Amino acid sequence: MESATATARPSIAAAPIRAWSWLRQNALKIYTGFALAYMLIPIGVIAVFSFADASQNRDHLSFAINNGFTLKYWEHAFSVPDLNQALMTSFKLATVATIASTAIGTLMAIALVRYRFYGRRASNLLLVLPMATPEIVMGASLLSLFLIYGLALGFTTLLIAHIMFCISFVVVVVRSRLIGFDRSVEDAAADLGATPIETFRYVTFPLLRPGILAAALLAFALSVDDFIVSDFNKGTTETFPIYVFGAHLRGIPVQVNVLATMLFALTVTAICFVLWQQKRADRLAAVRPEQEV
Amino acid sequence: MSDEGRSAATLRRRLIPYGLLGPGAIWLVVFFLVPMYFMGEMSLRSGVPNTPAGFTFSWEFSNYSDALAGRGEQIVRTFFYAGTATIIALLIAYPLAYAIAVKIHPRWRLPLLFAVIAPFFTTYLIRTVAWETILADDSPIVNIMKSLHIIPEDGRLLATSGAVIAGLTYNFLPFMILPIYASLERIDTSLIEAGKDLYASARQAFLRVTLPLTMPGVIAGVLLTFIPASGDYINAEFLGGANNTMIGNKIQSTYLEQSDYPKAAALSFLMMAVVLTIVFIYIRAAGTEAFVGSEEEVR
Amino acid sequence: MSSKRRFRAVVAAGGALAAAIVLAACGGGDVGGGDSSDVTVAKGGPASGSVLISNWPGYVDPGADGTVAQFEQQTGIKTDYKEDVNDNNTFFNKLKPELDQGSSGGRSLFVVTDWMAKRMYDLGYLQEINHADLPTVFQNILPQFEKSTTDPERKFSIPWQGGQTGIWVDTAKAPEIHSVADLFNPKYKGQVTMLTEMTDTVPLVLQSEGINVDEATKDDWLAAIDKLRQARDSGQIRKFTGNEYTEDLTSGNIVAAVGWSGDGSLIGNKNAEWRRPTDGCDLFFDQAVIPVGAPNTPAAYAFLNFAYTPANAAKITDYVQYVTPVNGVRPILEKEDPQVASDPKIFPTQQELAPCSEDPLPPGSPEDVADVEAAFQEVTSG
Repeated sequence: MESATATARPSIAAAPIRAWSWLRQNALKIYTGFALAYMLIPIGVIAVFSFADASQNRDHLSFAINNGFTLKYWEHAFSVPDLNQALMTSFKLATVATIASTAIGTLMAIALVRYRFYGRRASNLLLVLPMATPEIVMGASLLSLFLIYGLALGFTTLLIAHIMFCISFVVVVVRSRLIGFDRSVEDAAADLGATPIETFRYVTFPLLRPGILAAALLAFALSVDDFIVSDFNKGTTETFPIYVFGAHLRGIPVQVNVLATMLFALTVTAICFVLWQQKRADRLAAVRPEQEV
Repeated sequence: MSDEGRSAATLRRRLIPYGLLGPGAIWLVVFFLVPMYFMGEMSLRSGVPNTPAGFTFSWEFSNYSDALAGRGEQIVRTFFYAGTATIIALLIAYPLAYAIAVKIHPRWRLPLLFAVIAPFFTTYLIRTVAWETILADDSPIVNIMKSLHIIPEDGRLLATSGAVIAGLTYNFLPFMILPIYASLERIDTSLIEAGKDLYASARQAFLRVTLPLTMPGVIAGVLLTFIPASGDYINAEFLGGANNTMIGNKIQSTYLEQSDYPKAAALSFLMMAVVLTIVFIYIRAAGTEAFVGSEEEVR
Repeated sequence: MSSKRRFRAVVAAGGALAAAIVLAACGGGDVGGGDSSDVTVAKGGPASGSVLISNWPGYVDPGADGTVAQFEQQTGIKTDYKEDVNDNNTFFNKLKPELDQGSSGGRSLFVVTDWMAKRMYDLGYLQEINHADLPTVFQNILPQFEKSTTDPERKFSIPWQGGQTGIWVDTAKAPEIHSVADLFNPKYKGQVTMLTEMTDTVPLVLQSEGINVDEATKDDWLAAIDKLRQARDSGQIRKFTGNEYTEDLTSGNIVAAVGWSGDGSLIGNKNAEWRRPTDGCDLFFDQAVIPVGAPNTPAAYAFLNFAYTPANAAKITDYVQYVTPVNGVRPILEKEDPQVASDPKIFPTQQELAPCSEDPLPPGSPEDVADVEAAFQEVTSG
């Protein structure tokens, strides 16, 4: 009978059809999995190779020379003095640059979002230009400035350069946070008798804080990560990426991988902290609860 | 409040934005715009490198023609690498951003975005060195590909243009993903629903509704990827061979190995001019608000 | 934009331009110069404190019982020894802006190849050496190094180590490579590297073409550079490297590299062997120099004196495997490490070295030299 055979047939042919339609439905998710794996491969390689025994190659990393698994580079993670010095320099540089650029950038973002003034469009353009300029051009032009004025290249010139390219990114992040800001909370505070400064201190700033923190984190990451602009303006100072570049020519100590993995773990933790803060702030102010980011 | 008091307060209020903007604007003008002028000035100097006389200003426009001489192939190669890397990055990033913003459960969004940005937290150099290790001639991956005949027995992955493009793509992928994600996330889903109500198929809804609405993000991503990629020299240095150098390599070596500052400055300007031209053409074709920012935020 | 706005924009731009011109007028004049008119002599005296030295990688025996550590122990001078000289030009450029200001980035001593030492001296970046402060050095220096073509009176440079530029070969993969001409064999396409040091690479190519380097003209140099360009374009030469060819050899990316004779300690590939090319050879000698602004010149002198003590020099040579300028090293090594003592790379005879070029610069005026250098740079960095 028709109905009987109609129901009987799907169960034989259904399996591959079902598999195929499952594939089509979840194609995007499978793709996401592959894409993420691709993005994380180098990190995996770095982490795995921080355990590779390279004593046959003067403790320098190489695929070809690998004696097996060892923890000794983790135990002696800080035993390469030039590496430590470079890392310290990078951190010092990034810290000062982050503080300066976050402060400057936050003020700029407030001015650009909340005030109408002559020169606003020009300022927007000025902000966008560094993000649109190739790093090599920025680094080279700063070098020209320093050379013509005969300034000594080193930590100070690096700091100037880093603050310069961080400002734009800070402004973009804080501005997007400011735009999504519900002003009625501030109006409520004013209605309750708060002065503008008090309003800023007790209402605006705490709500803005996750955005500022995110901007600061971004600035820090950009500063530690920067190579090209630093390469042109460093003189003889070495930051961490510059050290890696030089080491690459002579042989990269395994400790570089160890420290890179540590740095990675540290940054992951910091981001989780920022996100947790943000969730808290969102919950407190009940600002647009349906948006998660 | 008296008239004088009111105008004093108004004046103060009008000056506040300048006060807030001041430090940043001054910093950017002094350390971004002014150096450009000096680089221009440097490009018009003349002299022999490494001699006591140094370089003196002399309206030496020949630096520009000298810089261009024989450079054509490298320029084309640079923009070919940067362009290819951008296109591949777009093809990889869009479905990924779409999956995270639209298809996957919102609970996973943050962790996934996080995983996307995570590679950013190891420095740029180290990521590239990791790829150099992965693609080395004797590495397991290359050996597997050889046994699968994807690459010939005497072929290699490292020191090829493919490796450089792959490196560029990988390193700038987050810059492509984030803007596209941001614009996808902002889409009002009711618009897509409306499209479907009007008998649009899933594919039509995507092509006619979603894609155009995400154009600002795509534009931002393309620019944020293409521009740094064209000035990059690290990927070419680590992953490329002598034949795969980009303009960035030449600028770097002219500045930092030859000390021929005027020629190097001229080359930098030329490169920036080409990049800006390409960018302006692209923005003209695609619209400007996404890039410069819209005007309505002031309240 | 409305015309009023446009007018304002023009005024603003004009003002900015005027400001910039004012800034420029106040700013510095010549850039990139230097002069050797007032050269100071490095001061001697009792040595103490701390000292920063820059050198090439693999040029001193490392470790807790290495030369640097021993020096620290015996003299109490805290020594920061950096191996950050990878390429003469890159190192020079890194330091140049500071040297122009009379500072050396904290370095009291560094080692560069002889032609670079001369260039730096001519630009006024080095201090002169007082022979009286280097008794051990001048007592023990081998006679053939008492003078040199670049520094006839040893006014500013003291030889550190030297060697030959030749070919490192992975004997397991390409045992038949014996000459520079072999490197151009298409069989090894993409598996060969050459040095970014022009004074090493081009003379070897000139000799492989049968040209006597001492008589080579600028055109000969340019022709040799053109040959290199073609080899690069065809993919024959994989890369032009500084020290990093050692890494490529270790990881198996290449089968042969133009490289320096003593770099064995830097290569992790046991099958790698240095060969003197059958069609030419090139000598180089790296010199220790004291820069302007050196913070601790007495310590620099002390270090040189220490390194020239035969016992210490023997230790260095034993590890580094380069040619030593110190007399009395060979007898010591004949007892302690006869294999090194009889190694012709480390103790070459005068006859072996006679036909070798000596890391020469191209002939002609500074403009000519700059032209040839620019042409070579074109090839090595596109």
